[in-house]
Amino acid sequence: MDFSFSRAHEMVRNMVREYAEKEVGPKVESYSQEGDEFPYETLKRCAELGLIGLIIPKKYGGNEMGYLARMIAIEEISKVYASLGANLRGWGLVPYMITVAGTEEQKQKYLPAFCKGEIQGSIATTEATSGSDFGSFPVSYKKDGDDYIINCRKVMISRATVSDVFGMMVRGEKGYTCFLIEKRMPGVQTGHREKLISTLSRNSPLGDVALTNCRVPKSQVVGEEGKGLGPALSTIGFVGRTGGAGICLGVAESSFDIAVKYSKERIVYGKPLHDLQSLKFMLADMAVRVECSKLLCYQVSWLQDQGKKPVELNRETSMSKLFASESAVNNTLKAIEILGGYGTAPEFGLIQRMKTALDMIAAAGSNNVLRRNVGDAAVA
Amino acid sequence: MPLEIFVCVKQTPHPEHFSKISLDPATGSIQRAGIPSVMNPLDKNAVEEALRIREKFSGKVTAISMGPPQAKEVLEEAYAMGVDEGVLLCDSTFAGADTLATAYTLAQAIQKLGRFDLILCGNESIDGATGQVGPQLAEFLGIPHITYVTRLEFQGEREALATREIEYGYLKVKFRLPAAVTVLKSINQYRLPTVMDIMQAAGKEVKTWNCEETGGEKTCLGLEGSPTRVAGLVALQTKRKREILKGSEEEIARMAVKRLHEYGVI
Repeated sequence: MDFSFSRAHEMVRNMVREYAEKEVGPKVESYSQEGDEFPYETLKRCAELGLIGLIIPKKYGGNEMGYLARMIAIEEISKVYASLGANLRGWGLVPYMITVAGTEEQKQKYLPAFCKGEIQGSIATTEATSGSDFGSFPVSYKKDGDDYIINCRKVMISRATVSDVFGMMVRGEKGYTCFLIEKRMPGVQTGHREKLISTLSRNSPLGDVALTNCRVPKSQVVGEEGKGLGPALSTIGFVGRTGGAGICLGVAESSFDIAVKYSKERIVYGKPLHDLQSLKFMLADMAVRVECSKLLCYQVSWLQDQGKKPVELNRETSMSKLFASESAVNNTLKAIEILGGYGTAPEFGLIQRMKTALDMIAAAGSNNVLRRNVGDAAVA
Repeated sequence: MPLEIFVCVKQTPHPEHFSKISLDPATGSIQRAGIPSVMNPLDKNAVEEALRIREKFSGKVTAISMGPPQAKEVLEEAYAMGVDEGVLLCDSTFAGADTLATAYTLAQAIQKLGRFDLILCGNESIDGATGQVGPQLAEFLGIPHITYVTRLEFQGEREALATREIEYGYLKVKFRLPAAVTVLKSINQYRLPTVMDIMQAAGKEVKTWNCEETGGEKTCLGLEGSPTRVAGLVALQTKRKREILKGSEEEIARMAVKRLHEYGVI
């Protein structure tokens, strides 16, 4: 069993870490001011560095370095600025959907622009009635000649107001179909920004995408009509979920690092804080969570790079996000506790990390849905 | 004529992990086990400057390093940044070299590799921090050297104006090639390689030369060729001294100022 990274993976980690620490790190505090917009200039920079094209074929502007490289990139960025990690994850979802299920025309039209950071997209599946229970979605489109007329409202959509293209799963008479909906199409409206704490942390404007008698040509269907579940669920589960795991790994790790540093520097009763056994036990538990999250995250990415299909990795993707997100919340909470009065001070960035960690409990399959996946696999 | 540019690069411990470096109490040697290594940060500025000059005038940039087999990693980093060739001088004979023996070895290899117009180095390394290798290398090659350079402006292909940082300002030095220049951090913002750059670098071959291939007098190499020896290493210890000053507010203030003068703080 070889646990070492390839030299190229190590170099990618060093490069992303340097980018995050030198270019992003000094601005994080100002980025995190409430009410401001996410710094979308980072999208261009991430694209320049090749971080959006990690799982996109070279033929369409990506670099195909793979899922492990993507996990490392999201982890390293999230250690410094989890909101950017969350967006880096999000920017890759629609391109993935097009890569696995899109037509040649769609690939040529969209993928190079995504990889260059010229456009951004969002996956839009959740409706007002439900997120994971898509069986309750109402029938929302009908065919009209070669076109489709869609009427639906998607809610809780990441970057709803800033994305150019939505990978949207809609229910029709023949089942679920995935469409590429461009924001500029007549009948598309975005808005109703949710006031969740994550949005206040400039994470990603979460809101609604409403389609009213929106006429969509056949050329915008991803995959086959009525067979949209596969592309949508594999995008959310295979890429979105593992990306979420990577964000949480970065948060769990950096919260632990902050706690360790503080416990060495803070002197209480004439000794470093960590000399208190109860505190050292907390650090030990945090370290175990970090290492276990790493093992789950790197393992699932490695399996993805071995060519395993989404359906074969439902258990592993579920375990990685489930464990890493709970580790991120727990480690950040413990770090806040260890820092005492400074735990919620903006300069330590723990609250900003906690906001993203809480976000990830529900994203890409809520943790209880993931528990069901893992449990189903256990008794299968 | 295309420029032949050489950049000397060194593998050093990662600055983030300096606090984990310890001294072996028995031997006094530095314990680096488990400490990740990276290219010396100022050497990255030197590589960047070389690439910018090549982009302006065309030519070839060769990165060269002397070190153990794992020093190949810094040449891979240099490839990822965009150099044309990486050369590693690696032989047990080179071990224990001080700055003079290191510069001698590098000079032998550079002369053997062919024509050279410009040698660029980081001003000093973050571990040894002597700042000697660049100037010594220039002496061995018989070319002028300019140190502490913060700006390099070419006036044509063979002539340049260097801005040196000196104690009380800047000194402008005009020079002709061939020459050696050692650079400071402020000379440029070095580029980060892209993922594609890294993937391409991973497949490139690093030319590795042993003692025979490098050439030179064996008595001038490694420990044998080093006129200086590290006599000992002592870890820096910082201790806080506490003193409670008593008296009226004015007396305490005067005593505090006096103490600060005594300790050389003000």
